[in-house]
Amino acid sequence: MDTKLNVTDKKANLSSKNRSFFQKISHEFNKERQLWVITIVMLIWVFVFAYIPMAGAMIAFTNYEPGYSIWNCDWVGLKYFIEFFTAPEFPQIMRNTLAISGLNILFGFPAPIILAILLNEVRMKKYKKVVQTVSYIPHFISWVVVASIMFTILGNEGILNNILLHLGIIDKPIIYLYEGKYFWTIITIANIWKSVGWSSIIYLSAMSGIDDELYQAGAVDGLGRFGMICHITLPSIAPTIVLLLILDIGSILNAGFEQQLLLGNDQTRAYYEVIDTYAYKYGIQQGRYGYGAAVGLVKGIISIILVFSVNHLAKKKLDISVM
Amino acid sequence: MNHYWNETWKTKLFDIFNFIILLIFTLIVIYPLWLELMISLNDPSQKPIGEVVFWTQYMTLDAYKILFKDSNILRGTIISILRVVIGTTCTLFCTGLLAYVTTIRRFKGRNFLRKVYIITMYFSGGLIPTYLLMVNLKLTNTFWVYIIPCLFSAYYMLLIASYIQSIPEALFEAARIDGCSELGIYAKIVLPVCVPVFAAVAVYLAVGHWNSWFDVLIYNPKGQWDTLQVYLRRILLESEAAAKVSEVSNAESKLRNMTSESVRAATTIVVTVPILLVYPFFQKYFISGITIGSVKQ
Repeated sequence: MDTKLNVTDKKANLSSKNRSFFQKISHEFNKERQLWVITIVMLIWVFVFAYIPMAGAMIAFTNYEPGYSIWNCDWVGLKYFIEFFTAPEFPQIMRNTLAISGLNILFGFPAPIILAILLNEVRMKKYKKVVQTVSYIPHFISWVVVASIMFTILGNEGILNNILLHLGIIDKPIIYLYEGKYFWTIITIANIWKSVGWSSIIYLSAMSGIDDELYQAGAVDGLGRFGMICHITLPSIAPTIVLLLILDIGSILNAGFEQQLLLGNDQTRAYYEVIDTYAYKYGIQQGRYGYGAAVGLVKGIISIILVFSVNHLAKKKLDISVM
Repeated sequence: MNHYWNETWKTKLFDIFNFIILLIFTLIVIYPLWLELMISLNDPSQKPIGEVVFWTQYMTLDAYKILFKDSNILRGTIISILRVVIGTTCTLFCTGLLAYVTTIRRFKGRNFLRKVYIITMYFSGGLIPTYLLMVNLKLTNTFWVYIIPCLFSAYYMLLIASYIQSIPEALFEAARIDGCSELGIYAKIVLPVCVPVFAAVAVYLAVGHWNSWFDVLIYNPKGQWDTLQVYLRRILLESEAAAKVSEVSNAESKLRNMTSESVRAATTIVVTVPILLVYPFFQKYFISGITIGSVKQ
């Protein structure tokens, strides 16, 4: 189909053997000039907006001040890193990050699997479709809206206080969002509410790929309905489950950011402050750019090591690769 | 779905329980939004907010009237819409072009370009260096800080490229022989043929633009390009401050608090409704978008 083009290409190649390197390059360039121009523009964009910030992480080793060039800053070495690791808040931040992530994995990870199994067992197709459609909605709603809803439900005159007061469980309203001990519960529930439906899609699509003959064979062997769930459905989606668990563990330092900023306040800071919000507080709100960048860099490096080593382990032990 | 197990009273009971559990689940998902709608329509001088559970008989549109008297809200709405439309169109065109360039087999630079972008999926400079870059490029306090830094996306590049690769190469080759330029092929063949994947990516991008507030907060400290989400957050902070005061205050200020609660609920509804409106329309596309990605893996 493209013989004509190939022939001209070959001719060009033969004649180009005798040319200089520069001529070869310019010939190559002229042949697909438009493509090269587009490519160069794209490379410039990615260089400016992705690679310069990567190099910019170097300010973690300097006492960078805005308005000065990075080359004129004093090199302070690991000062900010040591400051972060010895900061009095450090154990608290790590505890919050790991606790919020841990709760997310503990409750937020099985929830979509359970939902997918229940949905898969529904025999009325229309009903299944309606439940699925509704369950995706929270995924598309912003955290600001979720926070606003939380304020409404948990507020001083909110519905939860009103119900508990009527039932006589509490005798004066509690402002839940101002008490640190409730924060982890609130944020875990909000996270699950927002993500459970959307995360179930991937399990449902894995289930739709299960061969019908497996169920027929199961029936021949005398498996009942629950037996089929335990011995056919679950083992069939096990690779997907393991894969997503690996991804979750690899990103354990990403405990969320927007939800903490929106739902947290000064009274609950001891329970909501995670690495990301800490970097934001110092780096941008207080203008300590070097220190903030150092905190971000520590998190970035640990995350990368985690992702790669978890992936390596999975490849070795389970023959599954995420990347 | 076909079933191969025997019908017994146990499986029938399971069906009933399953139906009820999923019904409760659906109600839990919907209820907070419904409650917010009811509170926004409730007249707080007639019925305290905490007593609105499923329905209110004292309906009023006062909260919405107060809301739309505020010229800032209208301005925020317009900026939000501009951001969604311009941002989605530009990113879709640019990232789609990037995806197309990385699929042209004869093009020598394609693998290098692809790799340079894929690296950005794993490594990033982090919040502070990115922020400083925007400051140094003088993009802060402009509208373009919402558009330019997200023109290209490595993830959507892979998604679109995997779709383009499923199209017969002959289609592009025929156009090339006819003397069509690569940009022409992109505009006249790739864009129309790849509508499903572009629609899916457009939904993600549009929802992302509509919902984002943090970049508005840090890149637009002066506030002249504030979006609707940021106004909602500001009302949120105000009502948070009011909640602290209300513990010791009298009935009159309590009512004022409740009115502000109604206005907040109304704002929440106004922010959510556009998403719910486009939602059923695009639903088939975003699901197909996910499966396109997973099939290739």
